[in-house]
Amino acid sequence: MNTRNSASAVTIFRILAGLFSIGCFIALWHFGTNGTALGKLLPGPSVVLGKFVASFTTKIGKYTILGHAMWSLSRVMVAYTAAAVIGIGLGLAMGWYRTAEAIFRPFYEMIRPIPPIAWIPIAIIWFGLGESAKYFLIFLSAFASITLNSFDGARSVDRVLVGAAKMLGANDRQLFTSIVLPASTPYIFAGLQVALSTSWATVLAAEMVRSSEGVGWVIVSGMEMNNTTQILVGIIAIGLIGFMLATIMREVEAKLLAWNRQGT
Amino acid sequence: MNSNESFFIIDCEGLTKTFETPNGEFEVVADFSLKARSNEFVVLFGPGQCGKTTLLNMMSGLETASTGSVVVNGKAVSGPGPERGVVFQSIALFPWLTVMGNVEYGLKMRGVGKQERRGRAQRYIELVGLQGFEDAFPVKLSGGMKQRVGIARAYCNEPAVLFMDEPFGALDAQTRYLMQEELQRIMSVEKRTTVFVTNNIEEALYLADRIVVLANCPTRIKAEYVIDLPRPRDYVDSRFLALRQEISGMLDRAL
Amino acid sequence: MKKDRRYLLLSLLAVSTVLAAWWLATDILKLVPSTTFPSPVKVLRTLVIKFWDPNPDGATLPQHVIASLQVSLTGYLMGVFIGVPLGICMAWFTRFDWFARPLFDMLRPIPGIAWIPLMIILFGIGVMSKAMVIFLSSFTACVVNSYSGIKQTKAVHLWVARTFGAGNLEMLFKIAIPTSLPLVLTGMRVALGSSWSALVAAELLASTQGLGFMIMQCRGLYRPDVIIAGMITIGSVGAFLTWLLSLLERRVVKGGRFS
Repeated sequence: MNTRNSASAVTIFRILAGLFSIGCFIALWHFGTNGTALGKLLPGPSVVLGKFVASFTTKIGKYTILGHAMWSLSRVMVAYTAAAVIGIGLGLAMGWYRTAEAIFRPFYEMIRPIPPIAWIPIAIIWFGLGESAKYFLIFLSAFASITLNSFDGARSVDRVLVGAAKMLGANDRQLFTSIVLPASTPYIFAGLQVALSTSWATVLAAEMVRSSEGVGWVIVSGMEMNNTTQILVGIIAIGLIGFMLATIMREVEAKLLAWNRQGT
Repeated sequence: MNSNESFFIIDCEGLTKTFETPNGEFEVVADFSLKARSNEFVVLFGPGQCGKTTLLNMMSGLETASTGSVVVNGKAVSGPGPERGVVFQSIALFPWLTVMGNVEYGLKMRGVGKQERRGRAQRYIELVGLQGFEDAFPVKLSGGMKQRVGIARAYCNEPAVLFMDEPFGALDAQTRYLMQEELQRIMSVEKRTTVFVTNNIEEALYLADRIVVLANCPTRIKAEYVIDLPRPRDYVDSRFLALRQEISGMLDRAL
Repeated sequence: MKKDRRYLLLSLLAVSTVLAAWWLATDILKLVPSTTFPSPVKVLRTLVIKFWDPNPDGATLPQHVIASLQVSLTGYLMGVFIGVPLGICMAWFTRFDWFARPLFDMLRPIPGIAWIPLMIILFGIGVMSKAMVIFLSSFTACVVNSYSGIKQTKAVHLWVARTFGAGNLEMLFKIAIPTSLPLVLTGMRVALGSSWSALVAAELLASTQGLGFMIMQCRGLYRPDVIIAGMITIGSVGAFLTWLLSLLERRVVKGGRFS
């Protein structure tokens, strides 16, 4: 069919165009650093890519790049999960029960404008230089958007659905678990997605300030030792991990929220 | 149940509803009374935007009346509940549950075991003609199909009374006719006392045992007609058309 | 309404209870050392004194605030003026999108602050490196939201324009861009948050002035009262900037949603 042919032709052109622009970028990078003044500061693509591949087997500091990635990710996972459990619960409660909102919201609104990264110095004073400080910071950064979105979700529940549930015999507790919670999942999910990217940024910041392993440490130690290649290797790793996290979230959303897609 | 001829399964007396506004009190419903017998299909017929929904909500318990009393099946109404099933104009299915999930929801909330509630829900899914769609999500269903789930969901709780608030109002004209016939068929298999709100005269005449004509702002009773035509009814029968002309002539023209 | 007033009272009660407990624990009962946990009274006093006292980190509070604002607004506005048009072009000109999007998608997953070490090596410790990091942080949000804004343009509106004989560019400027304004402003709001956050991070690691520098210095000097005062300032300035932007947002969107 004519349309099908042109649809696949379009896809081929898109892929070619993408390859072309990435190719141009790499070429520019190569020629810009090959024996030029910039090349003294910035290594070329072949050097960086070579070092990146090598880092899977050779150690940077105490671990290979995979080891560092694991460190950073595990820090995120622990604190993020805690923030999700507490944040969803608190956010939904605040959105549904006015008493909870009256008690907790003022504190939330006062803490919210402060960027999580601004907590780093006080966290170090309170928790020292170890892992607890990092967990605290990541927790804070994830907690903010998860709570906010869960709050919005609970407040946006369609009142007619609530009426229908009551009509069908649901009591107060059942209303909360069987209506408010599922109805809020699109909002909760949006919060979880934002929280994941802010957590990723926060763990990097925490590792850049004080750490001896993790991808954040990789790039900051590269800076301290004037090893630009190491910095770029770290950045590539950070980008790849960020990309994987975003893709995973998207796939989970597609499965979990299939009921929310506006059909034909 | 009381089989006495004078037992009214719905007994409303002197219902009114007033709202506080910055300009003073606003009366939406004025002195409404209704008595309905078991298995009677009562249609509340009136022009749009005249408080019919508020009236229905007071009877089902979704809203509280300012004055007056509502007694359904011998018990005073103070809130919504499974005895007073509601079918909504906006359909209001739970989008995260499948058709089966929606229909069995009431039973699940009341603690009925999985086997039993599946069986009972299945019966009502078949009653409304949706067998095969048990695992579909509402987002995939057409408007008419969704409302059939709504009807099955209310029925499944085996309510004493059904309250239907312009249930076919959001559907296109063709589907609306089909749904009227569907409802007629469902009622012929399993009749329930029903209070049905509509602004469509054909719909009212097709379905009703009794039509209560409502006047506008504030909502109150203007006239009552007992419809004695044989079922299923014929939209072009001469008596049908005569009643249609007479009753629609009764409607308040003003907005 | 009476109920609302009850809830307001509850809120005030909750906040004052916590403040009182904080004060009790620090000043009266001395449960924690003042080098770790300052009393609220001390924090307040430091906050006020800092307005003219350059101790202990070398500059007064207003000086830090101005330094931070200068850098962050520079980077932020660069991100807006480059990011918004780029997002619009990518969404409107499909061929351009084919080339630009893969490059943008490579950049997108990298958090702004990850660029700090690289920028320091390239530009040293100073305004330029911080501004670049902030630019990159604000740029991403602007592109993404402007892109979504243009993509939201209703086909129906475009068809109407075409029946009146509008050309491609005319449709872009008269239909697509106005439709996208609410989302563009959302993007600017998100970008503001990212920029302010990136600023603090950049100043923590590589600066000699600014609010981020101030709170980091005072960590080493064991002055948590200055740190908390600094955090309060950071939060307040950030909230103020967001509020200003929301005024702009309200004026732009006041015409109502395009149905």
